[in-house]
Amino acid sequence: MSIDWIELIIVVVKALIVAFGLLIGFAYLTWFERRLVGRFQMRIGPNRVGPAGLLQPVADALKMFFKEDFVPGQADKPLFIMAPGIAMSAVLISFAVVPVGPSIRLFGREITLYLADVNVGMLVVIAVLSLGVYGIILGGWASNNKYSLLGGLRGAAQVISYELPYGLSLVGVFMLAGSLSLKDIVEAQARVPFIVLQPLAAIVFFFAAVAEANRSPFDLVEAENELVAGYHTEYSSIKFALYFMAEYISMIVASALMVTLFLGGWQGPFLPGIVWFFIKLVFMLFVFVWIRATWPRIRYDRLMAWSWKLLVPLSVANILVTAGALVLRDMGVF
Amino acid sequence: MLPTLSVLNLNGAVPQIAVAGAGMLIMLIDALFHRGSRRWAAYLALLGLAVALARVVESGASAETILDGALARDGLGMAFALVLIVAAALSVLVAMDYLRREEHERAEYYALILFATAGGLAMAMANDLVAVFIGLETLSISLYVLSAFFTGDAASREAALKYLLLGAFASAFFLYGIALLYGASGTTRLVEMGTAIRLAGTQADPLLWGGVALIIVGVGFKLALVPFHSWAPDVYQGAPTSVTAFMSVASKVAAFAALVRLLVVVLAPAAPLTSALLALLAVLTMTVGNILALAQDEVKRLLAYSSIAQAGYILVAAVAGEVGAAAVLFYLLGYAFTNLGAFAVVLAWSRRGEGRLPFSDLAGLGFRRPWTAAALSLFLLSLTGMPLTVGFVGKLYLFGAAVQAGWTWLAIVAVLNSVVSAFYYLRLVVIMYMREAEMPLALQRAGLALGVALAVCAAGVILLGLVPGVALDWARQAVAVVLS
Amino acid sequence: MVPADFLPILVLIIVAVGMSAIAIALSALLGPHKSTPTKLMPYESGMVPVGDARLRFSIRFFVVAILFILFDVEAIFFYPWAVYFRRLGLFALIQIVVFVGILFVGYFYAWRKGALEWE
Repeated sequence: MSIDWIELIIVVVKALIVAFGLLIGFAYLTWFERRLVGRFQMRIGPNRVGPAGLLQPVADALKMFFKEDFVPGQADKPLFIMAPGIAMSAVLISFAVVPVGPSIRLFGREITLYLADVNVGMLVVIAVLSLGVYGIILGGWASNNKYSLLGGLRGAAQVISYELPYGLSLVGVFMLAGSLSLKDIVEAQARVPFIVLQPLAAIVFFFAAVAEANRSPFDLVEAENELVAGYHTEYSSIKFALYFMAEYISMIVASALMVTLFLGGWQGPFLPGIVWFFIKLVFMLFVFVWIRATWPRIRYDRLMAWSWKLLVPLSVANILVTAGALVLRDMGVF
Repeated sequence: MLPTLSVLNLNGAVPQIAVAGAGMLIMLIDALFHRGSRRWAAYLALLGLAVALARVVESGASAETILDGALARDGLGMAFALVLIVAAALSVLVAMDYLRREEHERAEYYALILFATAGGLAMAMANDLVAVFIGLETLSISLYVLSAFFTGDAASREAALKYLLLGAFASAFFLYGIALLYGASGTTRLVEMGTAIRLAGTQADPLLWGGVALIIVGVGFKLALVPFHSWAPDVYQGAPTSVTAFMSVASKVAAFAALVRLLVVVLAPAAPLTSALLALLAVLTMTVGNILALAQDEVKRLLAYSSIAQAGYILVAAVAGEVGAAAVLFYLLGYAFTNLGAFAVVLAWSRRGEGRLPFSDLAGLGFRRPWTAAALSLFLLSLTGMPLTVGFVGKLYLFGAAVQAGWTWLAIVAVLNSVVSAFYYLRLVVIMYMREAEMPLALQRAGLALGVALAVCAAGVILLGLVPGVALDWARQAVAVVLS
Repeated sequence: MVPADFLPILVLIIVAVGMSAIAIALSALLGPHKSTPTKLMPYESGMVPVGDARLRFSIRFFVVAILFILFDVEAIFFYPWAVYFRRLGLFALIQIVVFVGILFVGYFYAWRKGALEWE
């Protein structure tokens, strides 16, 4: 078998674009969030570094690199160093199968605007994203700090609890699209975005995605007022930044998945697909920030009850209703 | 082709559905209205078992498949299913008063017995190694939980943990065996696997032999065959006595059903080698079980070792393959009555909060509790193999099948072992009737349900011993109809 | 579907892991290193830490973990079913109703017995 070198180079370039794109996305998401939350709270937000504070993320990144990077004396050193890397890598990899647009022609070649299209696409996303919890629980355990351990445990319990509605709410979408491939799912929404057909699934998925990303109001793993900084209490410098990135990039991934699975992905009139994708993405990110600025943090027992007692039965009911409706429609009842 | 409901042939799976459905119903009702007595759960369990039994008896044998080929509704499967259902019903009766006395009366007990039975039924009727495995796991997991049912009792918890760890180990062996057999034959369906093996011949195919060996190890753990028996005495002793009674019968019936089907349907071409392997295990199991039983001074543990030895006797007929299948079935039917009865007496006589029944406690009970003592004597005589009991007829057929298949030396070893076993079984009878009690045991009143169970067991032992003809014909006809 | 379809994912795995590793290595090189025994102590609100941090934690976490495994395995069964649902029609609907029914007996039982409560 001969290797198509040009294809391989294209793949590598695309992988680098995805990775760095997400990093830049992260950097400006922090700026976006700080500016927005500022407005929500009748403040201005960062506006000193560069025009409208646009260089603030660069300054933050540089500062992080030059901070002291130490490992606590009693920590489990290899795990302590690996853990943030795991958290960060997992979310980066999960973006591999998300399509940001249809294919375009560039230099006479057909270039697809996604890294990979595999028939088990969404399964890959779920599998890889759930690896991220290792970053949290290993970091919490390796630190040898009580707050970290509790934060890590809570994080693990929360993530696995919300994994269920996360996975189950998507079954309705898979039934409608007849595929797990994200590209097929987007193409199946050519006429109607699935949020119209699967409103309940969209709501359940969104809540589960917020909780999976450990975002407010489900950010109990780092509840400052009880657990200092949760699982990353002992982390400093770039290792702390990696956790921070993991959280924000998983927010981007969650938004991208919402767009792809429920909002019709790149589909839209007039504008090119990729533009539509980014418009929808920014809208979803705005919703994330909006929720953070508006809702107080939920209590831990309620957090668990929400998932197990509300979202799980709702998502299963949604599967049954969807299945029944599809059978009736295919039988020609309506 | 698209599957339709008809390939499931759900009508044939009514026994499993009734048993498992009753179990789920018990869980639901218990979760909804959990207060007061749990006696209703026992009645519901008996009802579910009765439906299953009626279905097994009336539908009769026909070589057809259920659930798209996963299960076989043939004579062999239905016959073992019948034995299993009877054993489960007797265990429910035995447990009712015992659980109340020990203050562990909970509805889950009956649900778990039913789930274990459903698993056993799947094993008995399985036509697919994956179905055997699922049945085995359903049976085993229910039994792990049942072993730990007396949560406050350290021995019960220890028994459950031991059973879980070794059982999980055994399951892994079994699963690897399935994987290797699948590799050797390209299918997990027993019938097709048998055909594939026959066509391929049995010349040194390491996959086939590895798979057979691993599966025998896995089944050997379940049957507590020596050298895979180390868990059995501790688990039998530590688990609640009613659970031990059920476990000692149900898991043997289910595992032997699967083993017999495997030997008849799949491994018949490989008979010389598998038989030699099983004969070795049988000799070890009988001998070690009996010798260790001699050294015991406590009835429950003695019965545990005796159960090991009994599995060895049954294996003697299994060695004979197709010839021995009817004998295995008949003996297991008798063994269900005998062993459940014996454990039921132990449970009626043991002190509250204590599973042990030391020999010294038996002294004088022959006259203080004439009926129960007579029943226990009957069961012990049957386990020995005395004439006029089912044990005698059963052993006659077990060892006769071995002789018929040319395993005369094995039959002789088995008879010698029976002679050794007479010593420890009869010693109990002697203690009951001929020794004065130093500290008379404060006996509880046996409840009605336990009395019924004991009466049924005793009647079964006597009737099958006196007029074995009907049951033997039934067993012969049943095993003649095998899906293959 | 061929393994080659997964190649881009492998490339991204290498890039992502590499990036994390480089970032961690860089900060170890660039930052100052002035550790003192006090600095290396675990943080406990400024107090000298009491006892070991590897605490025994609530059994609730185990219960949640086991429930998760149970339900997640069930959830995985839905996926292939969902993809082929349109082709199987009514048969698949009946199957899933039975499946969900059995699943929810267990769910309901766990709920009523308090396994989902977090005290």
